[in-house]
Amino acid sequence: MKLAIFDIENWREIGATLARNKTRTFLTAFGIFWGTAMLAMLLGGASGMEGIMRRQFAGFATNMGATFSGTRSLSYKGFNKGSYWQLTEQDIALVRSKAPYIEKSSEINGKSVTATYGDKTKSCQVIGVEAEYSEIVSPILTEGRLLNETDVLHNRKVAVIGKNMATELFGSGSPLGKYVGLDGVYFLVVGVAAQRGDMSIAGRIDDSFLLPSTTMRRAYNFGNKVGFFVYTAPSGHGPSENEAAIRRAISHNHPIHPNDERAIQFMDISQNFAMVDGLFLGLSILALFVGAGSLMAGVIGVGNIMWIIVKERTHEFGIRRALGAKPLDITVQVLSESVVLTLISGVAGVCFATIVLGVVDMVSADPIHGTAGFQISFGLAMGIVFAFIVLGTAAGTLPAVKAMKIKPIEALRDK
Amino acid sequence: MIIKLTDVNKTYPGAVPLHVLKDINLEIRRGELVSIMGASGSGKSTLLNILGILDNYDSGEYLLDGVEIKDLSENRAAELRNKMIGFVFQSFNLISYKTALENVALPLFYQGVGRKKRNLMAMEQLERMGLADRATHLPGELSGGQKQRVAIARSIVTNPSLILADEPTGALDSHTSKEVMEVFRQLNSDGMTVVIVTHDPGVGAATDRIIRIVDGEIAHGNV
Repeated sequence: MKLAIFDIENWREIGATLARNKTRTFLTAFGIFWGTAMLAMLLGGASGMEGIMRRQFAGFATNMGATFSGTRSLSYKGFNKGSYWQLTEQDIALVRSKAPYIEKSSEINGKSVTATYGDKTKSCQVIGVEAEYSEIVSPILTEGRLLNETDVLHNRKVAVIGKNMATELFGSGSPLGKYVGLDGVYFLVVGVAAQRGDMSIAGRIDDSFLLPSTTMRRAYNFGNKVGFFVYTAPSGHGPSENEAAIRRAISHNHPIHPNDERAIQFMDISQNFAMVDGLFLGLSILALFVGAGSLMAGVIGVGNIMWIIVKERTHEFGIRRALGAKPLDITVQVLSESVVLTLISGVAGVCFATIVLGVVDMVSADPIHGTAGFQISFGLAMGIVFAFIVLGTAAGTLPAVKAMKIKPIEALRDK
Repeated sequence: MIIKLTDVNKTYPGAVPLHVLKDINLEIRRGELVSIMGASGSGKSTLLNILGILDNYDSGEYLLDGVEIKDLSENRAAELRNKMIGFVFQSFNLISYKTALENVALPLFYQGVGRKKRNLMAMEQLERMGLADRATHLPGELSGGQKQRVAIARSIVTNPSLILADEPTGALDSHTSKEVMEVFRQLNSDGMTVVIVTHDPGVGAATDRIIRIVDGEIAHGNV
């Protein structure tokens, strides 16, 4: 048995037949080219979009929860609906002792101040935090150190400066060891930090100063007031599992109706993450669906052109059969044409998509987070091409089998 | 005996079944130059198709060079056609996008002969037809007579047991017809068995024996 694949005649024949009708071959090839490119770009694009979305949450612990004061939605013990209550230091102490699933936690207060250094002033935000804040929000430390428990315990007047503020006030010089006035209170700068993601509580770190929560409350007369209480749940538990305990603890200190859902506000980041995960699963499925559609269109195009080629060449197949071609020889010939067409245009499509994704990835790259991941893996690219070859072969099978079944005398009669 | 038909019948089924070949008995010896003549509809094309293993017959027996040709698979039929029969057609049936050389080499391709060897063998046959200088031409660039000579070169390249020619001069003018017949006579004098189906009396006259077929029966010329 001869192996037609190794015979140059076979390849020249494939080239010749495909070249005979250039427009039709081109259009079919373009169909597959576009199908593969589309599929690859959609899958790569979905992964890139996900990467960009993830940047927003970057730095936040995925199992973070937050609690803060709201207004009463039910009147209770003489307090009207719509009245406000204030979360306090005492509430937090009680919550910490009662809530079962808190791993790291920190109170957070925010305030707008005017920062002064030398002759420069700048309005900005101060954020009072505890040591564990850095383990929940994980800012990027570029210089010096973050705030620690001793800073909080001893009401130290130290601050971590946001990277934008550092440039505004100190230019290219190092702010470490310098004293900055924040609404007239002077703080020693011990570190420079940057925000990791787009999401923030009480202000972006880049444009703020992080202060020890205790120092901040004293310096700006907050008394025992607390803006937010943030916490993470240990692995295996959700932040929301603390909700009942937190409600009970706070209601113990404040006159809040037991059924008042809105007086005590809860936020569960893990739910947002779950939502985003769902969103991207949906997006990937959509990409796959649309991509598969264009893939099918391309494959049907191949089947179509092969069908026409077989019809057109019936007479030629008759001649070949009379000269001794076996049915299988004809089938192999038709199939190899469709495989070659699919292979070349499929590979070209994936290459094109890779270039496009590469450009998008480069353009969307971010100095902190790097590239967003507008990419498809090599395996996926090979998978797409392989799927196209399999489908292209399948599409060529029907015409090829038809070509095989033609009787030589009928084919010779066909003009 | 290169061809031996015994009581061969062929009926085309249909609303009114058409009995095209009726108890055909035919013998053609090795080295003969024979023409099969008949009006259109006489059954001569069907006879040619059966002789060329392109069609089946219903009953009787057909021995081609001692091999019984009956109910063959498509693959076996293709193999036998390739090895034992050289076809020459009225409309040449050259493949338009292949050069003269590639056309001649095509039957060898299906025998699995390597490219170099088959091109060498094909060139030899083209030389024999006096067309060595046309080897790289496409059929479209050749005259009718040249095309038919390329087709004849193709039919003999596998060194078959016989050549079956179906109206080989039907598309040619009288001058080229004579030339082509001369080629057949030459091949015959080299020992090749040639069977020509025609309705042209001039062609018939140029053969050694005329077999006339009328209404599916051999009327004259059988030995």
